[in-house]
Amino acid sequence: MRMVIVVTVATLGAWCDSPAQSWSAGAQAIPLVTPADPTATRAVLTEGYLTQPMFMAHAGWRSLHGVLTLNFEGLTQMRGELSTGGYGEGYVDRRHPHAYVHELLAGVEDSVRGTHLSLYAGRGFAPFGSDDPMVRPFEKYPVNHHLAQILERVLVVGAARAGPVIGELGVFNGDEPLSPGSAPKYSRFGDSWSSRVTLLPARYVELAGSVARVKSPEVPDGHGLDQNKWDLYARYDRRTADSRLYGLAEWAHTNEHASGAISTSLSSWMGEAAVCKKDVMAGLRLEGTDRPEEEPLADPFRTPRPPSDLSNLGVSRWTILTLAVSAPRLLLKSFSARPFVEVARIHAGPGDPPGLFDADLRYGTSWMWMFSAGVRLKVGTIHDRMGRYGAAVVPEPGTRTRSNESHDMPGMPAMPSPAPMTHHSNNAACTL
Amino acid sequence: MSCRTHVLVAAIAASLCACGSDSHVVDPPDTSSVSNEPLTSAACPGVNFGKRPAPLTLTASAPPALQVFGLGSETGRYTAEVAARGTTAYTTTWGMRSAVGNKIDIWDVSGATPTLVDSVIVANATTLGDVAVSDDGKLLVVATERTGGSIVVFDLTDPRHPHQLSRFTNQDTDPGVHTAEIGRVNGRLYAFLSIDPLNSIHAKLVIVDLGDPSNPQQVYSKVAGNPFVHDTFLRDGLLFVALWDDGMEIWDIGGCGTGATPAAPRVLGNVHTVGGQVHNVWWLHDATGGKRFAFVGQEGPGSIGSSSTGDIHVVDISDPTAPKEVAFYHVDGAGTHNFSVDEANGVLYAAYYNGGVRALDVRGDLKTCLPSQTQFTSTGNVTRCDLRLMGREIGIGLVELNRGVYVWGVQYLAGTIYASDMVNGIWKLKAAK
Repeated sequence: MRMVIVVTVATLGAWCDSPAQSWSAGAQAIPLVTPADPTATRAVLTEGYLTQPMFMAHAGWRSLHGVLTLNFEGLTQMRGELSTGGYGEGYVDRRHPHAYVHELLAGVEDSVRGTHLSLYAGRGFAPFGSDDPMVRPFEKYPVNHHLAQILERVLVVGAARAGPVIGELGVFNGDEPLSPGSAPKYSRFGDSWSSRVTLLPARYVELAGSVARVKSPEVPDGHGLDQNKWDLYARYDRRTADSRLYGLAEWAHTNEHASGAISTSLSSWMGEAAVCKKDVMAGLRLEGTDRPEEEPLADPFRTPRPPSDLSNLGVSRWTILTLAVSAPRLLLKSFSARPFVEVARIHAGPGDPPGLFDADLRYGTSWMWMFSAGVRLKVGTIHDRMGRYGAAVVPEPGTRTRSNESHDMPGMPAMPSPAPMTHHSNNAACTL
Repeated sequence: MSCRTHVLVAAIAASLCACGSDSHVVDPPDTSSVSNEPLTSAACPGVNFGKRPAPLTLTASAPPALQVFGLGSETGRYTAEVAARGTTAYTTTWGMRSAVGNKIDIWDVSGATPTLVDSVIVANATTLGDVAVSDDGKLLVVATERTGGSIVVFDLTDPRHPHQLSRFTNQDTDPGVHTAEIGRVNGRLYAFLSIDPLNSIHAKLVIVDLGDPSNPQQVYSKVAGNPFVHDTFLRDGLLFVALWDDGMEIWDIGGCGTGATPAAPRVLGNVHTVGGQVHNVWWLHDATGGKRFAFVGQEGPGSIGSSSTGDIHVVDISDPTAPKEVAFYHVDGAGTHNFSVDEANGVLYAAYYNGGVRALDVRGDLKTCLPSQTQFTSTGNVTRCDLRLMGREIGIGLVELNRGVYVWGVQYLAGTIYASDMVNGIWKLKAAK
């Protein structure tokens, strides 16, 4: 890990003085007010935070690359962000704060006979599922976050891209973070793996399928429930100089098991779409996701980590419709501010098995509302995708990387040279 | 192996063949018991494990339903463990229902239907996972979880209205005391606390001296369990510790007569039962004086209120330095939790969550069975007798009601079974025999 830091810092320190070098950096934060009506307290609760504060940097020098994302939610919202239906890492009906070191990886990339190859190591996303919700058009995360992403693991991930096909394989530690500042269990590195295959069959279109075997994510010393995970998604993202049309349809499934016997099955389907014209963006998301219910602590938004045994309180089923609208950004040089509002209509019902879950008992109702209003503040360059590295980064149609090689699809007759990650200028219309 | 032992083994094998018996001895013959003499271990001379029990031939048949006398209803909270003495029963509460699990219900169980006569709210607790009454009936001890963790000691001078004497909590009981068993070692009362893990802090076992119940004193603490330690069982100065995937461990804390104490335990032996997830233990003292078998409860994954998994494992502890699993009991679609044994009649009662209450005949030799009554398990590379196929299943309770039960604990008391049901409250049933 120390070597990874050295390599990354050295890479970031490189001055961009030749075509072989590239770097970018940016920061983001969202002042946010969120009422939840009701939430786990069985009452309306309104809170405000500085959410998703992060610093992101990418750098490349010849075939060496570095990725850094620091997330400061541990400083600004340790109690978690109200997110009715959300769960994970000891939080329920709140989204947990992410690790301070969200991504820190160093990698090498090269092209061999038309195949773009990469190997990255450090802490970051396992090759599984869809993009981190942080770079998608909604502020609130979907409930399926822990079914559709595997994040903040110490990993080695290799990727190869040949024509319209991308293959990835990663090995990592199964344990999820215990807190924003907790160190991973380095001794568990390699006990889990995931793989993702992505097809780029047409311009703007991306199809991906993933599989993962994750050992004991919730019990850091092991011997907890293991997870077998699958994810399929189709993504469409078309951008022009002043517009964007985006869509994502995703299915995710996780089986929790001990000694090979499945104890809990969790499924999710989700569709989200956004359209942007003249920098006004509107989005709609509909999802139905299973949530494993856990024994709450005295704080109804927290569950014990690790749990005290391998049982849960049953499964709940969350159906959530979210509408998001954002106004054109206010721009000042590399700084931008995009105001937005989101409203979510939420239904919680029994899953399979229902166990002890009873929405009326827990929330006082099975129908809930959640509102969000905030401003997405950005400076510098924040990349559009998060969760892929090196050759797995999907080149964006019609855009050019710093090496000025076309990423046009399909067919990709000429493979791009190594590029850190696709991104848009912060001033381009319809960026978040 | 000595020459004499060889001769004995050969003699046993010959006799089995000569009489034409089709009985199957799963283990190599227990030569130490051939003489039918009481058994002691060099590692633990202070404990007499008794004579080898005689084999018992039973016929497997559909077990009858245990007769239900009545239900004491508790629907405001989820009910957890039960402890009964005389005509009074105590049940604890768990988690969050319409109210938090911080209440002890006190029931008059003299009639057919348990009647709530009082309750006690324990401050600074979200779950009261365990409750126990001391052998002299003078004290009630309750474990609290998830708000620092503690044990609360009550005076039972008036059994229907407990009076709090003391509360023991320290940094070792954080974040919660999952179970607290109590028992005497050389006449002095102790509590054995199984502590939950928290983040990177491991689970541990804490021993507390209750000699002065108004002023409990910790005498021992040890990181234990992988990843959990859920329960203990104390008898005759031996402590059986349920270490989850580290199996069941037997500690000498004064019973062996070799100098160990609750403040300085000595590990005698360990067994990894099939599947791990060792949750609870009962060391059987049968009516003939046999002390060779311990029952281990496995708590597998489940969804509380709906499903559960986990078997009962029978362990031969006649050599406490090398205990060995010899038999098991499995229920499709349900898993076991806590036990209570009617030792005079040789019946083990097991709480079986959504599987209700199960009664097993545990008389006689549990490690000897017919080949058709065995199962080989490749994961543990062990051949075990199946208690169901041996005809040991003699009663099932509450399942026939078809009203959805989730039984946490049971207690046998004078011909009656008290079953704590997380969903419904406390049931009173007639014992199997």
